[in-house]
Amino acid sequence: MPLDYPIHERTLPNGLRVVISPDHSVPTITVNLWVNVGSRHEVAGGTGFAHLFEHLMFQGSRSVASGEHFSALMSRGGRLNATTWFDRTNYFETIPVGVLDLALWLEMDRHGYLLDAVTQANLDNQRDVVKEEKRQRYDNVPYGNAMRDIYATVFPERHPYHHPTIGSMADLDAASVDDVHAFFTAHYRPDNTVLTLVGDIEPADGFARAERYLGSLPSRAGTLRANHAQLPPLETPERLEVIGDVPNDRLHIAFRLPVEGQSDFLAADLAMEAFAGLSMSRLVRRLVRTEQVANSVQAHAMGFVDGVSLGLIAIDIAPGADPAYVETAFVEELTAFLASGPRAIELEAALAQSERAWLHALASQEERADLISHYALLHGRAGYINDLLDELRAVTAEDITRVARTWLTPPSRAVVAYLTRESAEAA
Amino acid sequence: MDTIPNPARPEVEPAQRWVFPVPASQVLPNGLTVHTFDLPGQYVVSLRLIVPLSVRSEPRDKEGVATLMTRLLDEGTTRHSTEEFTELLERKGVAFGAGLSDGGLHVDADVPASRLGDALELLVEAIAEPSFPPDQTRRLIKSRVAEIAQERASAPHRGARELAATFFDAGDRASRPTAGSVETVENLTREDVAAFHASQVGPVGATLVVAGDLTGIDIDSLIEQTVGTWSPMPHVVTPGAQPAHQAADAARIVLVDRPDSVQSEIIVAGPGPDRRVSPAWAPYPVLGFVMGGSPSARIDAVLREEKGYTYGMRASFRPRRAGGMFVTSGSVRTEVTAEALDLVLGILEEARTGFSDKEVREGIDFIVDTAPGRFATADAVAEEAAAVILDGLPLDFTTRNLDAMRALGPADLDAAYARFVTGEWTIVVVGDASAYADQVRALGRGLVTVVPN
Repeated sequence: MPLDYPIHERTLPNGLRVVISPDHSVPTITVNLWVNVGSRHEVAGGTGFAHLFEHLMFQGSRSVASGEHFSALMSRGGRLNATTWFDRTNYFETIPVGVLDLALWLEMDRHGYLLDAVTQANLDNQRDVVKEEKRQRYDNVPYGNAMRDIYATVFPERHPYHHPTIGSMADLDAASVDDVHAFFTAHYRPDNTVLTLVGDIEPADGFARAERYLGSLPSRAGTLRANHAQLPPLETPERLEVIGDVPNDRLHIAFRLPVEGQSDFLAADLAMEAFAGLSMSRLVRRLVRTEQVANSVQAHAMGFVDGVSLGLIAIDIAPGADPAYVETAFVEELTAFLASGPRAIELEAALAQSERAWLHALASQEERADLISHYALLHGRAGYINDLLDELRAVTAEDITRVARTWLTPPSRAVVAYLTRESAEAA
Repeated sequence: MDTIPNPARPEVEPAQRWVFPVPASQVLPNGLTVHTFDLPGQYVVSLRLIVPLSVRSEPRDKEGVATLMTRLLDEGTTRHSTEEFTELLERKGVAFGAGLSDGGLHVDADVPASRLGDALELLVEAIAEPSFPPDQTRRLIKSRVAEIAQERASAPHRGARELAATFFDAGDRASRPTAGSVETVENLTREDVAAFHASQVGPVGATLVVAGDLTGIDIDSLIEQTVGTWSPMPHVVTPGAQPAHQAADAARIVLVDRPDSVQSEIIVAGPGPDRRVSPAWAPYPVLGFVMGGSPSARIDAVLREEKGYTYGMRASFRPRRAGGMFVTSGSVRTEVTAEALDLVLGILEEARTGFSDKEVREGIDFIVDTAPGRFATADAVAEEAAAVILDGLPLDFTTRNLDAMRALGPADLDAAYARFVTGEWTIVVVGDASAYADQVRALGRGLVTVVPN
């Protein structure tokens, strides 16, 4: 059954793209803005800045006091936040229908007039908060910096995805109010932004309100940079070993993948799922259930747009098992997968699980709005949420085999091994 | 440079009263209660099967057997081997999960509506006829032992374990990990698991929640052909829960020494109510929000927005099946640990002098007016219904609680807070104790003990 979520799309004269998807099941509306700027736009010495900037978007703007964005909406039944990632920054709130105008007005104030309120004190405070976020989520957690190490190992120096969104402490320390001004002016502009409204609203009404509040956002001149060209797979394996205070050995095995938005990415996604992402996948069956040398195996494809995506398999090794043996077994299974392609039931299960996961994601207004913004901003396809499953079903076993033989080969892997001290001494 | 004047700040229109969906309910001949929520547009159907049981039923030397049983439910049945059952679930698009809470066992399955019948069939097979294969039993025991090591390495998990051990009486099951300890788990056998399952799990007293778009589905006959065939077993139906006993020396400070930590995880806890509390549970979620539910809440207004010591601390009343806790927790950088702890305690105690009309009204409006959005998906409806059932409450609890909340005023919150917050706290800090142990002692907030991680 093809999906048929309604999608209405319009571009305002200032360049802001507006997408409206009515859903009258609940008397709420999700307001979701995607700005085409993320950590991939940061330059050397400025890592972590896109995310720090996102924090400042809650610290006041021309007519809004520091913290008021949160308190004004939460106290009227709003749930809201923002996130920063490699490719983009998103801002979102789900509110009762009667709060829509206030939400749009608050978004106008910060997306148009943030700089009126930025101060050194606000920057210093949020710099401290972000440093605590970095400590809490990465530095004080076992394996917490594994993703940072994976990006640095699988992607080349100076590539947009070589460094993590959280950035480095030194670069956070170096951020200045001038940087905030330059960043806002370069990236926060209506023609670099998508606004999606999902919920209890009619399209004409939604467009009128979007125009009323956000139609006056000033346009800015200057061209936006194009995405990087596709990176090829690694030619020879890369390797990093980190020895330290972790409870178990863990192997992170990463691959470069085709960029998101083309059928080869979907084929790579299904290949990852079929080979290692399901409980029934051959890798999981062998390592976890039969030989019991791994506690768990996780696999997923992370779609990016700036020249490459990432395929990642994480194997948590059972106490007493040998990481070198586990990696050898991994290579054997991968080689067999590449030789034969996915079995019919592996493909059937990968599709069935992808379908459920996709429908589950679309079940909530919040996630639906986020996915609409995602494909509208990064791919120019606001209606992609209705098409993805059909495109996924069109991928054949031959496509998966071809793509896997190009991108998921043993020599093209990057391995980041986190090893316990005991294990490193034994090796 | 703007030529068009910006519109003035708009007014807000009040939200309408909203009620939690009302299910169609029936009791099957085998004793299973079924609640069905038909939610048009929710293409993934969520199933929650709830079996009341308590980890207090576990023998002392076999603690963890209930969790192990739970984790083995999808590892093979009398009809299908481990590999066959795994394949069946995944090929039918089912996401299967099972867990234990304070009130009982819950088995969860999500599936596209077109495959609901398959999911129900597999769900009843997993709960009624698990085979507990010996090789997978051994694997999941090893995996629990590895999980214990992982939890020890994580400051919040390590802190939660120390809190339970300090706050609850050592003789009470609640003082020890739900999923068992190394010494109790290592010797478990498949026979232990099978015996526990046979004695504790059956349809009598159990409940199935079905939530999703059921258009064109004959749900009654699907139910009858699947979970309706679950044979009643002579199992023990868990009696009403009793609150866990607090330790006589619960009011003290334990520093879990985790050298080289760059942050300290602070946990401050005291007793709290369960959701049956009289006159009402309604004030407690509001209190949690006002104290520690947002960046502008009392704690983060100081610790995060003024001082920049933390990414965020949270405070909430956490109900158990009987009794509960009031817990404030979060991480701060090592250097400010003692000062942050002192600030948190000051804020928690200062609140005993009362709450303002504005913050009470804003807290109520947040919780009441976010409810339609929070419960908008099949998953969220099933989850809430399951939580209410696990607490042994009627299914209109959610709506009645929201209605009661609307009617609250500052005096209700003052009384509710004063009833549980006496100024006596169980405090656990996980971090580099050598950096702040003396400063924490100097706060004079109670006996300080340092324990190894």
